[in-house]
Amino acid sequence: MTIDVASGTYGCCDGITRRSFLKAGALMFGGMTLSGLLRRQAVAAAAGEPTKDLSVILIWQGGGPSHLDMWDLKPQAPAEFRGIFNPIPSNLSGYEVCELMPNIAKICDKLTILRSVTHNDGGHESASHFLLTGYEPTNDIPSNEVPSYGSIVAKELGACRSGFPAYVALPTAPRSSAAAYLGVGNNPFETQGDPNSDKFNVRNLKPPANFSVDRLQNRYAMLKRFDTLRRDIDASGVIGGMDAFSQQAFDLVTSPRVQDAFDLSKEDKKLRESYGRNTWGQSTLLARRLVEAGVRFVTVNQGGWDTHNNNFEELKRNKLPNFDQSFAALIEDLHQRGQLERTLVLVWGEFGRTPRINNTAGRDHWPNVFTVVMAGGGLKQGIVLGESDARAEFPKERPISPQDVLATMYHQLGINREKSYRNDADRPVEILNYGKPIQEII
Amino acid sequence: MFKVLRILSLVLGLLGQNGLSVSRSSAAPAQVTLLSVDPPEVVLTSSDQTVQLVVTLQMSDGGLRDVTHSAEYSTSEIDPESPTRSAIEIVRGRVTPQGDGEVSVCASVFDPVQNKKVTGFAKVTVRDYSQERSLNFANDIVPLLTKNGCNSGGCHGKASGQNGFHLSLLGFEPDFDYDALVREGRGRRVFPAAPDQSLLLRKASGQIPHGGGQRLDMQSDAYRLLRRWIVQGMPKGSTNDPKVVRIEVFPRERILQGGDLQQLRVVAYHSDGSLQDITRQAEYKSQQPDILKVDTEGGMSSLERTGEGAVMIRYMGLVDVARVTVPSNQSLPSDAYAHFEPKDFIDVLVMQKWRKLGIAPSPACSDEEFVRRAFLDAIGTLPTPEEVRQFLADQSPSRREKLVDQILERSEYASYWANSWGDLLRNKRRYGDGYKRGTFAFAAWIKNAFAQNMPYDQFVRAILTAQGNVSDNPPVVWYREVRNQVHQVNDTSQLFLGTRVACANCHHHPYERWSQDDYWGFAAFYARLGNKQGEVANEQAIFVKKEGETRQPRSHKVVKPKGLGGPEYDYVRGEDPRQKLAEWMTAPDNPYFAKAIVNRSWAHFMGVGLVEAVDDLRTTNPPSNPQLLDALAKDFILHKFDLKQLVRTIMLSRAYALSSIPTPYNATDRQNYSRYTPKRLSAEALLDAIGAVTGSMEKFNGFPSGTRALELPDEAVNNYFLDVFGRSQRETPCECERSYAPNLAQILHLMNSPEIQSKIAHEKGCVSQLLKSDKSNNQIVEELYLRAFARFPRPDEFNDAVALVASAKDRKSALEDFEWTLLNAKEFLFNH
Repeated sequence: MTIDVASGTYGCCDGITRRSFLKAGALMFGGMTLSGLLRRQAVAAAAGEPTKDLSVILIWQGGGPSHLDMWDLKPQAPAEFRGIFNPIPSNLSGYEVCELMPNIAKICDKLTILRSVTHNDGGHESASHFLLTGYEPTNDIPSNEVPSYGSIVAKELGACRSGFPAYVALPTAPRSSAAAYLGVGNNPFETQGDPNSDKFNVRNLKPPANFSVDRLQNRYAMLKRFDTLRRDIDASGVIGGMDAFSQQAFDLVTSPRVQDAFDLSKEDKKLRESYGRNTWGQSTLLARRLVEAGVRFVTVNQGGWDTHNNNFEELKRNKLPNFDQSFAALIEDLHQRGQLERTLVLVWGEFGRTPRINNTAGRDHWPNVFTVVMAGGGLKQGIVLGESDARAEFPKERPISPQDVLATMYHQLGINREKSYRNDADRPVEILNYGKPIQEII
Repeated sequence: MFKVLRILSLVLGLLGQNGLSVSRSSAAPAQVTLLSVDPPEVVLTSSDQTVQLVVTLQMSDGGLRDVTHSAEYSTSEIDPESPTRSAIEIVRGRVTPQGDGEVSVCASVFDPVQNKKVTGFAKVTVRDYSQERSLNFANDIVPLLTKNGCNSGGCHGKASGQNGFHLSLLGFEPDFDYDALVREGRGRRVFPAAPDQSLLLRKASGQIPHGGGQRLDMQSDAYRLLRRWIVQGMPKGSTNDPKVVRIEVFPRERILQGGDLQQLRVVAYHSDGSLQDITRQAEYKSQQPDILKVDTEGGMSSLERTGEGAVMIRYMGLVDVARVTVPSNQSLPSDAYAHFEPKDFIDVLVMQKWRKLGIAPSPACSDEEFVRRAFLDAIGTLPTPEEVRQFLADQSPSRREKLVDQILERSEYASYWANSWGDLLRNKRRYGDGYKRGTFAFAAWIKNAFAQNMPYDQFVRAILTAQGNVSDNPPVVWYREVRNQVHQVNDTSQLFLGTRVACANCHHHPYERWSQDDYWGFAAFYARLGNKQGEVANEQAIFVKKEGETRQPRSHKVVKPKGLGGPEYDYVRGEDPRQKLAEWMTAPDNPYFAKAIVNRSWAHFMGVGLVEAVDDLRTTNPPSNPQLLDALAKDFILHKFDLKQLVRTIMLSRAYALSSIPTPYNATDRQNYSRYTPKRLSAEALLDAIGAVTGSMEKFNGFPSGTRALELPDEAVNNYFLDVFGRSQRETPCECERSYAPNLAQILHLMNSPEIQSKIAHEKGCVSQLLKSDKSNNQIVEELYLRAFARFPRPDEFNDAVALVASAKDRKSALEDFEWTLLNAKEFLFNH
């Protein structure tokens, strides 16, 4: 694979091996402007301090997307591994993606691609918990043992603009997205419904007809007076935590700015088309509207990547075309608006899929190596870091743990990973207890 | 080397003394009355056996304390003829043989209270030290692969193996593993001619790159044992070699103070009656890592939190569990239990537990609290103001008994429980309205069963053995969702036996003793089930084939029907094996059936199951109060599986009628019922309650007006409120599918939806009626409090509320706003 240039620009002279670096000729491809560079440097200078204006969009590909059919094709591998899709070149020299992702191929110079992420938990529930919190669960658990990082970011930084919820899931939250001992007030707000529907609106965001905001304000004041049930009767803290929802709900309803942000009909029609008129596309667009307006952390919940049967048919029919269109549009849109530097985008699911194709033309669970894609948020752009082996089974170079990815995210956000919160047993638990920021990309 | 040892023993000796000098209570410090060494006598018959001693002090206050790690050990040969060099070495109570001989072991600690050393003894005999034992692959090698993680689900144990090397998950298939190690890999994995060149050793010890890193130190016993097995030519062992049939941990139960240590000792019992110490080979996992930690050698340590913990011990597909109680170190006032006079066995057993933990109950709840609590818990319905007034007016000592009896006779009882059982039995019309008739019929059948108080064993039997058409026998609808053997095994075991066996479909259950044979033996009860187009359109009819057997998918052998741990039945031509299943399940001595349902019911009323999750009863997930679970099950069986009687027993206990307000003596308790656990109303109950308070019931499409949410037959009836408040989608037999978790969307809906506002402002609703009536503001405020909270307002609330209404320009708006306030208050949303 070709290794490219411009290393001086990036100041990566800290002894880190460059063998596995696929470097973007960002300047060559016009991927990064000077102002972008300066902004990034400003962000970097502030590292360690909360970078108050950074937002996160998590595109959660639940079920486990097939790395081998999207980001890490192995055309040289035997037929029972490589699958039926062909690679096409991307605008990143030497890097190829699946032929079903032609739009993404044109924006790879703005991405940060990690091809050697690895862990060893092959169960949906436990691995989802792991990749949505940074902690492997100790028991079979139906809910969060530790907070999701969405909840942590919400708790640490709050919304970017007051009146907005800090943490939103579109349209619903995947399992293990909850706040655990950070309190129910830091659970994600789920819009429900289908953002692609013409009738889509977030229920109950506007006061009922003929109902004034003043009156609601009056009611809320009364509630504070008469809602006297002792909060400490509930050892789990749920009753007390619900007060935060009341406050949030009140803030949402009384803010026209919030109403606007959730209203997709205010978006340019052409732009809506460019994201794709489907649930993923419009959820992704809504995510961009929300982070731009003031939400800190948005999860776009894309399910259905668990392609045990007919993997190729499944991917070809809707998944890859819809993802390709929406994700490429998001990156381009954020870039056009100058929002990419202040928006960290993270795309992953709980694991990748088995390189060896099974006897129902599907691929099974594979945590041993898979690709994670990040963008924006001050990360270096146009980088492909790490490499898997000849059949995309194991990391060949630079194994990266899920916690490394999260450490990188916290680093960019300026959140101190060593800070602890007390869990229900009153034990301090660190925000993240393992993993290091990935130096090559920050 | 010597110095190090001396310093080490000095440190250990000091630790022992320091440990003992700490006084745990304000009373006179306890002194040691006895030091015992377990086991008192042991024989080791090969050089690679070891034994873990456990040294326990009995204290004068009745307590037991483990000093295994801190005791000083000395040895003396019993036979003066034997060589002077000791036959054994002891480190932290672990005995390693060094040669043949009979040794007396003396363990001692210094007791500062008596200012003297106390001692205890054990006898260790080592025989045949130099005789090399021929190893057995399954007994000696597989456990070692398991303990070191080689065959875990994330590594070589997963279905596809790892890097071409595949072992059975957790070593449950030793034959398969033997082939993988010895026959595959072209002999490179093990190489007896040059054992150290074996890939197995080189990879595991990290001498050559290994994806899993270094798993074994070359100096470790495990490495040496593996090497010896290779040198011996990889013996598989004879099929006649003894097999492990049972493992046992010592001690099984202990009370530890925060920060205490307790060494465990684990013994395997073989089929030939012999024992082996497997403390070192077994795997350990703490089930409550917040309370208890455990290391890889069976050393447990408690943390600083009051509560109970368990350590799971696993060895060759067998499990055991050691339980630990960490009592509160706070001293209780002498009258801590004075207000709690046990009334029945429940009270006696919960109190026993409180005493053990050093916690005390909250005061009893008031009658106002009791009436609301009882209505909501038993029938999911708010009492009306009239019902509250009536109950509060009754001053007879038996008023609560009378109330409970009345509630249980109401029609809402059947609706409420049928709603919940409709979830668990997954009654739904997945494929649309074409399936309405069957769904409705099954819903009506369930409701009727509760209305008649059908004994629970009959209820379950009717479902399990259902056959024929929907029109004659509605429970056949259960088989619509529970449509194949896998669903049938999973649902039957999880729902009716409270035991999750789904893992054993493909491999041995990792936390239980269930194997694939057990799983498919259970499936075999359903071997003859057939379905065909029934007489009712769209609906299948269930019939039983004359013949049919089930094969275990891996061995392809026919398996006979067999309950979990139960007897094996023969296939008899023309018989329905499900009858045998129902017989086995509902027999009074079935170990799961009664416990599963009493635990479910208990959890419903008390907020937390004796076993959590309620459908996960297993050795390694022990109940928080096993005596109570047993007693409830026994009482239930004694009353011939009478569900209402069970409910009555729980509701009339004093434990049920405690206040939910914590005291300093139970503030951290969440699992021992020292106070009532508040719970949010279920989606359906809450929607009905809002209807009752506002006087405007929800209207459901296609149902007569006045139909309550609790009366809906299934989840297919469109309703945003029910969805957002977490009704079950009926996709699984798990109680957990119903969600009680709060979220912002719920609060938005309660605070700001047109639906709720239109109920409040409904022209025939409560506010309108009150406005039209000649009631005073005082009466109106009282009425609204009774409706929503089932209590009278306190004086301060009363004054403020009346003042608000009286001073309002618009009386209607004021009352609407006040009703809104009550509906949004936590006191309304929760049963407390």
